[in-house]
Amino acid sequence: MAIPAFDTHHAPEMKLIDDCVHCGFCLPTCPTYVLFGEEMDSPRGRVYLMREAHEGELLNDTMVRHWDLCLGCLACVTACPSGVQYDKLIMSTRQQVERRYRRSLQDRFFRELVYTFFPYPSRLRVMTAPLAFYQRTIRGMTVRSGIFRRLPQRLRMMEELMPEIPLRREKIPAWTPARGTERRKVGVLLGCVQRVFFPHVNAATVRILSSEGCSVAAPEGQGCCGALSEHVGREEEALRFARRTIDIFQRSGVDHVIVNVAGCGTMMKDYGYLLRDDPVYADRAKRFSETVRDVSEFLQELGPVAERHPLPISAVYHDACHLAHGQQIRKQPRQTLQQIPGLELKEVPREREICCGSAGTYNLLEPEPGQKLGERKARNVLDAKAQLLVTANPGCHLQIQSSLKRMGQTLPMAHVVELVDASIRGAPVESLLRR
Amino acid sequence: MSASKVGEGDNQIVQGATPKQTGYPAAGLGDPAAGLGDPLGVIPPGSPGMALQDLKGIVGEERARRGCSEDAVDGVEPDLVVEPQSIEEASEVLMLAHRAGMAVIPRGAGTKLHWGNPPSRVDLTVGTSGLNQVLEHAAGDLVVRVQAGTPIEQLQTELAEAGQRLALDPPEPGATVGGIIAANASGPLRHRFGTARDQLIGITCMLPNGKVAKSGGKVVKNVAGYDLGKLFTGSLGTLGLLVEAIFRLHPVPAARRTVVIRGIGDPATLGDAVQRFLHSSLVPAALEFSWEAEGMLVAMFEGIAPGVEAQAKTAVDLLGPYGDVQVFDEQEQRRWWEEWAGRHSGRPLPETPLPEGGEGETVVLKVGVVPTELPHVLRRVVSLRDRSPGVVPRLTGHAGCGITFVELTGDEQRLVEAIGEIRHFARGRGGSAVVRRAPHQIKQAVEVWGPVGDALPLMRRVKEQFDPDGIMSPGRFVGGI
Amino acid sequence: MENRDRLIQKMKTAVGPDGLVLEREQLRTYECDGLTSYRVIPSLVILPESAEEVRNAVRVCHEEGVPFVARGSGTGLSGGALPVEQGVLIVLARMRRILEVDIPNQRVVVEPGVINLWVTQEVAPEGYYYAPDPSSQLVCSIGGNVAENSGGAHCLKYGFTTNHVTALEVVLPDGEMVHLGGKAPDSPGYDLVGAFVGSEGTLGIATKITLRIVRKPEVVRTLLAAFPSTDEAGGAVSGIIGAGIVPAAIEMMDPLSIEAAEAAVHAGYPMDAGAILIAELDGPEAEVEHQFEEVEKICHENHSTEIRIAKDDDERILMWKGRKAAFAAMGRISPDYYVQDGVIPRTALPEVLREIARLAEDGGLRVANVFHAGDGNLHPLVLYDAEIEGEAERAEEVAGEILQICLDHGGSITGEHGVGFDKKKYMDKMFTAEDLDTMQRLRCAFDPSNLCNPGKVFPTPRLCGEVPGPYRMHPVERAGLAERL
Repeated sequence: MAIPAFDTHHAPEMKLIDDCVHCGFCLPTCPTYVLFGEEMDSPRGRVYLMREAHEGELLNDTMVRHWDLCLGCLACVTACPSGVQYDKLIMSTRQQVERRYRRSLQDRFFRELVYTFFPYPSRLRVMTAPLAFYQRTIRGMTVRSGIFRRLPQRLRMMEELMPEIPLRREKIPAWTPARGTERRKVGVLLGCVQRVFFPHVNAATVRILSSEGCSVAAPEGQGCCGALSEHVGREEEALRFARRTIDIFQRSGVDHVIVNVAGCGTMMKDYGYLLRDDPVYADRAKRFSETVRDVSEFLQELGPVAERHPLPISAVYHDACHLAHGQQIRKQPRQTLQQIPGLELKEVPREREICCGSAGTYNLLEPEPGQKLGERKARNVLDAKAQLLVTANPGCHLQIQSSLKRMGQTLPMAHVVELVDASIRGAPVESLLRR
Repeated sequence: MSASKVGEGDNQIVQGATPKQTGYPAAGLGDPAAGLGDPLGVIPPGSPGMALQDLKGIVGEERARRGCSEDAVDGVEPDLVVEPQSIEEASEVLMLAHRAGMAVIPRGAGTKLHWGNPPSRVDLTVGTSGLNQVLEHAAGDLVVRVQAGTPIEQLQTELAEAGQRLALDPPEPGATVGGIIAANASGPLRHRFGTARDQLIGITCMLPNGKVAKSGGKVVKNVAGYDLGKLFTGSLGTLGLLVEAIFRLHPVPAARRTVVIRGIGDPATLGDAVQRFLHSSLVPAALEFSWEAEGMLVAMFEGIAPGVEAQAKTAVDLLGPYGDVQVFDEQEQRRWWEEWAGRHSGRPLPETPLPEGGEGETVVLKVGVVPTELPHVLRRVVSLRDRSPGVVPRLTGHAGCGITFVELTGDEQRLVEAIGEIRHFARGRGGSAVVRRAPHQIKQAVEVWGPVGDALPLMRRVKEQFDPDGIMSPGRFVGGI
Repeated sequence: MENRDRLIQKMKTAVGPDGLVLEREQLRTYECDGLTSYRVIPSLVILPESAEEVRNAVRVCHEEGVPFVARGSGTGLSGGALPVEQGVLIVLARMRRILEVDIPNQRVVVEPGVINLWVTQEVAPEGYYYAPDPSSQLVCSIGGNVAENSGGAHCLKYGFTTNHVTALEVVLPDGEMVHLGGKAPDSPGYDLVGAFVGSEGTLGIATKITLRIVRKPEVVRTLLAAFPSTDEAGGAVSGIIGAGIVPAAIEMMDPLSIEAAEAAVHAGYPMDAGAILIAELDGPEAEVEHQFEEVEKICHENHSTEIRIAKDDDERILMWKGRKAAFAAMGRISPDYYVQDGVIPRTALPEVLREIARLAEDGGLRVANVFHAGDGNLHPLVLYDAEIEGEAERAEEVAGEILQICLDHGGSITGEHGVGFDKKKYMDKMFTAEDLDTMQRLRCAFDPSNLCNPGKVFPTPRLCGEVPGPYRMHPVERAGLAERL
């Protein structure tokens, strides 16, 4: 029985598909094309599969597989000369798949596992205590005994990606006043993964915003912005998170919403588009999206006023895909770093545009390509020969760190805001290198 | 006629001179007449007398005659010689020759007839002297269309009137455009501009059956169809007769400077100097070397006056450490390049003075290797003097391209050995050694081209497609084609 | 289907199970290359990872009598990689290793799937680059470049792919592997490398390609000049060439193409210009400085309204970015477009552009023009909307008439994109039957069974067994090496 692949709710638009002129400029920049060399695992091929679906081909394992393998890194959007809005296309396609395709039992189970915990900071936190314990005691034994290797690959990957869970809990106050004259009122998204695994990054963010003359609200009750869910097509869930986020921040009366995670920034800037059909939220979402700023973007917009103390260190900056490709923000983080005296900014010497393989939960759901890409990026990062790796996304941080570990290497890592914070506070360089 | 299978030993050219040998090449080709010639057990060739009348009927009384010793190609005298004056005449001539099964050799000015193996048969020499017009010079487009029998000097004179030139400078005086293409002749300018294949954008050729075909066109940018021009370049008249060529042109440079470095002590130093040159930002039009007891490197710069002066100065600074550097003035420069051309002109050997201590025969080998191998070739050849007493080598070459002309003088036996040795050496270094000039008995002993690699069967198939009866210059090319 | 199953089994042995694409949805993603007007679903797609696997695959095709087509990145614009009905598509994208870099001898050996720009990136630290730079060099493969004899903006001064390939390892259509040419110059024998380059994949599959790299010039100077119209711009080009200057590249764009490129790339092109020229000179400093001044002067003499000189490498790259993205950028100003590729003698440029404009008006369509002004290679882009009845057909007509104009002026039906499938029908307007027959003799030498990318380039295939005229025993027959069946 022939069931058409797509239903009419937010199917990938034929108009957008027609924007693709089949030129292939996207191919060399697509991580899966780089890995597999097959047309079906390139943006051009994936768009073609969408076209095929519209023309009547069925939604089967093969098609879904190729779409699932897409990282959603959006490097193709940057490369495309015709302006194909691949982000919208893959988003709507994933939603269709999520709704209309029956995954295997194992697949469904694992996905539910991930999505029951990761977007919920409180639930994640519940896991952290036992995890912290496990990491500091049993883990060594598990690894050495080889039990570890017998775990299914996805679970193993999840385990490898876990950072050292911090024992101290850093609480961000609901409101932090501006230092000196108040220039702006801003809100800060604390995130989900970020809040639990990298709370010090949130703390640093608040501090520097305050130093730059902003009063910072960190509203209670905020949670995941919905990016992780949207990334795999769990539309309803994503929209629920979106609505809640909008409500919370609009209640707080801030001028801008500042975000220190690349993926969250892209998501929130897309709220307007995602909620376009919602009669209640359409307008509000659009207005909300216009207030969203990535922290580097915002700092450059504002213009720095707080004094920066020298940080004599060489740092290589890694572009998170959702910052560089998703929001086309490349200059601002670099400018922000270069405003720190004594800092030598280095670039990843090659394959800068190729994703590190984190891509939201991709490295959990697709461990094999995730791992290959992670190692590739790690090697390229090491070749920059810098003392420190600077990122703007916790996912990239975790991915590169675990890849390095697998290669038997280490490299201190930090978020952009941590460097700015250390510079403003006059902290010594060692404080960054100790990580 | 039934397709009887011929026994194994019958066709020695096809079986014997195959490329997969290592070590010195096979001693001989066997009887050249058993080659691809004589394909027609069926139709007997017409008698020369009857053919002559027919030819005269096509081209007129004066333009067809019997062959004589002066027409001989490596000792093989043609029965008949004909000079058609138009493409139509040439076509009719070839059709006649084809029907009669005559072996045909095209000839321009005959300056390179001695290149290649001695032909297995020559029944008819078709001269192109009657096809000597520059047909179309589109100066604004830097393109010229010219008949194949046009001497290149005549072409260059005409092009110079518009301040343009064909960037090809083979040294053979009087050479025709068609002959240059067919032989892939080149000169020092190849360093910058490449060889004939890189200047040719269109050709009109005539197949052995008289049919005319063209490829390419009058525009430089053109990828429609196959590039038969490249196929015919260097094919030495074995695929057909070239009748027209279309070339891309270049502006005549406003100024020239030549820089000479003399007294280079050993081949390694020469190699270093060449490398330094190649990897610098200098853009010489030519980079030549010679070796006789010690080495000399010569670079020529072309362009506008301030540009060539600056480059010459840079070259002097760059190469100072390698020897005695000098920049030629206008007169010296002109004289030097004229002498160079004279030396490589291929004029009959007795005219060029023999090197000291040399007596006997002289052969010229063209050795092609990658530039880094140049010093090794030099050293090997120079050491011949010690290992093969009585063989005196002199070397010149296009240093930037890795091409060396090895001139050896000595007695026949020793020369044959030396050629074998050099060829083996060049082959081992990923290159080739082709006999450019030699008395025909030496040519027969060593085979001019040397091994060709695994593409020889493919080349034979190409030959078969274009000249199924094997009447065009039979036996002159690689593998006895 | 039994035959297909047998083929699949053999191919599994030839390239391993990971090297096959079998599912219909997947095969469909390969049904066209950069030219989407023609689509043919291949029976099977093979992705070999080594020359040996290519050879195995071709052998299987030969045994089974199955036609095959080679494909690199699938960016060709003439349908050269369009699959053949019931045929196999051999995709070289996984063979992308750079095998050897020999800087002292200026040679790089690559596998066919290596992307054009990678070669330059590989040798750039040593001060070298690979000169042929088609606009798609970010994605097009060297193997594809070899098939099409690709050019690029800089081919005016530096030549095409055929001037930069010195050796090839080729799998012939019967599965035999041969080595043509060499790293060293002047290999004896026929120049089969020269015959192979530009043969559009009809003579075999190249599995190793030896390229010549070129020293980076001492200086590169780029300018962008705006003119009131293409006439003045064309006049400037003539002036430059007439002054004996050979620019490294000289490109022209008309208002429509400027608009599209600007929308895509934001290079800051002057939107009010009637035409812009992007001219680049490179070489030794003293020479370039002097010539550059000359070029500026000539632009002024031809009423240039604005001249911009690139201050640094970034600016230079940005100036070129718009030109290189021009085709694909058309998607921003028109729902559909048809890229044409034709050549005319440069001196005929102004007249031809006028004729094209007339054609466009008569056809009720817009035509944007982008071209290599130095060598007369035009790329008229016929803009249309497939949704509007009849526009697609009219666009094709206009594109075809443009080719006729090129031929009328003594030009060519293709400067870079090749004949492929798309322009077969024009071949007999450019060449006589005799010309085409002679060219196909070459093909018969390489591919007597007509299995290698059949149906491309030539409108009518030549039957390879035929030798017109009275029967003559083939010399190879006499030698006992072949039997005529």
